[in-house]
Amino acid sequence: MRVRALHLANCVVLASLAITACDLVTGLEHWPFGSYPMYSTLYSDQLSWLRFYGVTDRGEIELRGDRDFAPFDQARLVVALQRLQASGNAQRIDEALRNLIDLHNRRQPPAARLRGLRLYAVRWTLRPGLEGSEPPQGRTMIAEVFAPVAGP
Amino acid sequence: MKSVAQAWNRYWFRKESAAHLARVRIVAFGMLFAIYLPLDDRGWTQVLPVFWTPISLFRLLPGPPRHAALIGILQILWKLALLSSAVGFISRASMMMAAALGFFLLGLPQCFGKIHHLDGFPLLLMGILAISHCADALSVDRALRGGAPRPPSTEYAWPLRLAQTLFLLVFCAAGCSKLRNGGLAWMTAANMRDIWLGELFTHTPPTRLGALLAQQTWLCQFGAVATVALELSALPALFWRHLRVLTLAGLFVLQCLIAVMLGVYFTPHLVGYALFLPWLSRNRAKRDARDALTG
Repeated sequence: MRVRALHLANCVVLASLAITACDLVTGLEHWPFGSYPMYSTLYSDQLSWLRFYGVTDRGEIELRGDRDFAPFDQARLVVALQRLQASGNAQRIDEALRNLIDLHNRRQPPAARLRGLRLYAVRWTLRPGLEGSEPPQGRTMIAEVFAPVAGP
Repeated sequence: MKSVAQAWNRYWFRKESAAHLARVRIVAFGMLFAIYLPLDDRGWTQVLPVFWTPISLFRLLPGPPRHAALIGILQILWKLALLSSAVGFISRASMMMAAALGFFLLGLPQCFGKIHHLDGFPLLLMGILAISHCADALSVDRALRGGAPRPPSTEYAWPLRLAQTLFLLVFCAAGCSKLRNGGLAWMTAANMRDIWLGELFTHTPPTRLGALLAQQTWLCQFGAVATVALELSALPALFWRHLRVLTLAGLFVLQCLIAVMLGVYFTPHLVGYALFLPWLSRNRAKRDARDALTG
């Protein structure tokens, strides 16, 4: 192995280990490196989450499928909305929900399209025996938007 | 100081055959091609900037990309680059393109609210192979160029060693994060039970195994302690081969359980496990080295 190649290899190894160690110690993320903090916080038996409900001609329907708002999956979408919620800017949340209606409707036949979308904070008290299909024990509406009505 | 340098060189720079690293290239890029074939990022062009929270080098962009056709072309180029990297055709350019486009296409979704920690390692692997000499054997380029086989070299050892190390450190980091953010309380039965039950509502797991196991306190306790112990064992496993086998088997089972209980699929990590397969092992490499020396 030539000396220059050896130096390059050493630099790559050292840089990779340094960034990994930095993220590992500090908990920071330098993607594609990272501290891999998934599921690392303490969880409570009082679960709070965000859930979407579509407004259709047939009433309100729960939307929790991973493809309901593709390309978003539920986990990414909820974290994104939590971030917007934390910013306290209601206009931005409304703008985001209108975008979600578009993302949903472009994949649906006309009859199944949403007329509106509601974002709720939902909660459950976790206990053994739950199956995941139980309705929320409480919910609070955060925002509600309606799709613009198509012209004649 | 000298012994540290010797240990360093022994760990990263032992002699290996070109075929040894070439097999890694074929397996890694072949698997990445298969895993990412369904990837389609064009939908992100329809997402409004209100969701845009760029990470890493994406902060340099003025905003989210809006051209679906351009993303479509980049995707096709990326998948072709993965395939041509696997077969070793126009190898250096293919692997560089695979790594660069991979950075963009795998990183783009992470800029919309949350980083999913599935794609970081595969990208690092692509980057490592792109700067390595992994196409010096078992490649179309090599067949076209002809000539004598390359002799064993330290050049063919460090890329795989680094990839294996970074893969195991992924899990070590996950274990450290749990202790840093949750402390020892993370390893209680109550915490594990709340994770298993909570995911039934926040994700769509394919089974109700989490609900079933959450009914047994001792299983929750075992799961919590075993998870952290396994993840932290990834660090010593870098140095002890027997522990490495146990740790990798345990981590694989852990990720399978996460898939069926929590509905989180670490499919891209399969390529990381493949790096430790016995047929990429040192014995095989020794045979290759002997074959190369004897022509």
